[in-house]
Amino acid sequence: MPENLEFSGNWYVDIGILGFVKLMKEVYCWDLEKLKEMISRDHEKVYYGYFPFAYFYKWCSDRNENVDKEIVSSLVKNLEESGLQNKTEELFNYVWFKYICKLFTNLWVENKLKILHKKDAYDKKDKVKKQFNYTNSQKYLQLICEREKFIYELQKNHLEDIKKILENEKLKMVGYDEIKYLLNIDLDNNSYPTIPNKVKELIAKLKETHSDIENFLKEEWKKIIQTEKIDEKDSHFYRLPIDSAFYKNFLFFNNFAGNLEQKQSFYYMLSSNFDKEEILDRIDKTINKFLPSESEFINISYTKLSTTIFKNQYEYIFVYLICFTYGIENYKNLGYVVFYSNDLAFTYSVNKKLKLYKEKIKVSTHTNKIFKVTWQQIIDFLVEYKSTWSLENMYIISYQSLDNQFQKGVRYIGIHKLQASLLLDDKIREALNTRIKCKNASDEGDRCWLLEEFIQGKPLYPIILNHINLTLTSDENFNWTSCLYGLLVDAYIANFRGKNKTIFSDNFFDNYKALVKEIKEEVRITTFFSSLISNISDEIDTRKRVARELYTALCGKDKKMFLNILLKNLNENTKLSSNINFQKWILEKIIANDTSFEMHCLILVMSLLRG
Amino acid sequence: MNEENAYYWQKVVNDKKINLDLKKLKEAVFNGFKGESDNYKQRLVYNLLETIRNNDQKEFFYVLLKSINKPNKDYMNLLEQLNNNYDVMPEEAFINFAYTIIIGIMATYGGEKNE
Repeated sequence: MPENLEFSGNWYVDIGILGFVKLMKEVYCWDLEKLKEMISRDHEKVYYGYFPFAYFYKWCSDRNENVDKEIVSSLVKNLEESGLQNKTEELFNYVWFKYICKLFTNLWVENKLKILHKKDAYDKKDKVKKQFNYTNSQKYLQLICEREKFIYELQKNHLEDIKKILENEKLKMVGYDEIKYLLNIDLDNNSYPTIPNKVKELIAKLKETHSDIENFLKEEWKKIIQTEKIDEKDSHFYRLPIDSAFYKNFLFFNNFAGNLEQKQSFYYMLSSNFDKEEILDRIDKTINKFLPSESEFINISYTKLSTTIFKNQYEYIFVYLICFTYGIENYKNLGYVVFYSNDLAFTYSVNKKLKLYKEKIKVSTHTNKIFKVTWQQIIDFLVEYKSTWSLENMYIISYQSLDNQFQKGVRYIGIHKLQASLLLDDKIREALNTRIKCKNASDEGDRCWLLEEFIQGKPLYPIILNHINLTLTSDENFNWTSCLYGLLVDAYIANFRGKNKTIFSDNFFDNYKALVKEIKEEVRITTFFSSLISNISDEIDTRKRVARELYTALCGKDKKMFLNILLKNLNENTKLSSNINFQKWILEKIIANDTSFEMHCLILVMSLLRG
Repeated sequence: MNEENAYYWQKVVNDKKINLDLKKLKEAVFNGFKGESDNYKQRLVYNLLETIRNNDQKEFFYVLLKSINKPNKDYMNLLEQLNNNYDVMPEEAFINFAYTIIIGIMATYGGEKNE
């Protein structure tokens, strides 16, 4: 059955899926559609062939290893041509030896070169350690021994000269880093006139013996790539030098596993073979540091949470689980951040766009910049697609650091279903998608983006109140539609919250459609009724004076004073005072409304200024 | 009317809960004052607004009761409403109560009705 690449609803699995998609994009430049196509064509080739290589390729490139990019195109070409259909183990073995092992050539050789002294290869009982014990270990140790002589000589008799070359007066021991430095300098020219020739000769011999070991190791490594075989006895010697703090419990990252065990363990993981690898059958801290350990799972009293449940849904569940860390992006000033919703395409698209802004964010010292950028991406996406249910389930997950035991600075920021539902309406969204001038705005340029505040669940009333103040004190215009929508949305949310004490009301399941309809109807009614107040006077100056007086009362949250000023001014205008519609509106929206009267009062002030 | 969003005055008389209905109150005021002259009503509204401004409930009822203390059957309904609702109220409820009465009076001004 081909794998259906969609989100599950479990965020730690889903972020793994996102990581998998991002990984394949990074290594093979496949976008989501292409990846889905590849999976539906031959999923075994993707999961047993392309994926293992991509995983280790990324592991190496993340650690700034010099990885040969041509190896990727060679793999793609050979896998496309290979006839290894339906032979998962053979396919995996082929990729493991021919490509993954090849990828690790430099890293493995370097790791072996680090053994400077023969005695380091022996344990306390004078036996050769597992990782150095293999068919040809005598030759390897002999070569180490030859190089060691020169290191010893330099260390014992010429340390002062070495200090001069390395320009390090505090040097006590000649270690691997020092040797690497010595190997790279050119002693033939006259740049070191004070260094005696004997030392130069010793260094030249050191170079020679060092490259002997290097060549020897490269040859040995090449052999296993060519033959695609390793003797069981030699497995530890050929161990891939890999490690991971996050996935320490997976056997292939374990220091005690040799190359063959690493290969086998990775294969068991890909095929979710729980019989062979018991650890895979547990969903807990073992596989993801965000989860509690099995004993801490307090809500599971009767049975342990098994991966088997997930396997029914995803054949390659572990592929996703080990890609978890690749789903999250590291932003320099902010730590690790991921945007998550219940829809793969949506999540992938937003995260992809976010990554493009990575450079921009890097420069900024403003820690909330990421959220600003994220909202922008979400809105862009909304205009392009219409993914109702994904919008209702969006989160931003961020953390500072993770290690084997602890998570630091983890934050989950959700977007309320109510806000999300309102955003889906074109009119409301467009009206709120404005930056209005506002004193002390957090944004640069003293502008405040209404939509962002709204998504974050903050009230819009204080911002608009501030904005109207600027209009009153200077001759600046204000955006009527944005302010009106902002205030009415705020008023409705306030009323709504006051009324519905339970979360799962009928409206919740109806996606608040009724609320959206009500708000739009309210906009229509309010525009008409509130505009009647402009009949209070034909003089713009009088209207402005009244507006200013009303605004002052509003700033003090004084409903009594506001109505007093309003009615006193109305009292002189018998025609407007007796307007039944206007009367009704004032009674209903201001006098008999103690939850959201402020918003309607401000709309009246705006109407006066609008004229 | 969104009745759940307002502070309503509720009192218990002989185990019976009596709620303040602003809409009914406004109607009673409207029917009571519709026969009076605009000048008189404007002055009255001004005086009532002053008493609210000073948060003087006693004075408010004094001015109001004085103005309806007439042998006019138009005021019967309003008197009944006041009889039921008159009490010392918390400020929030009083503001709603008092401004409803004022709005009711203002609605009777002889200007053109835009119904």
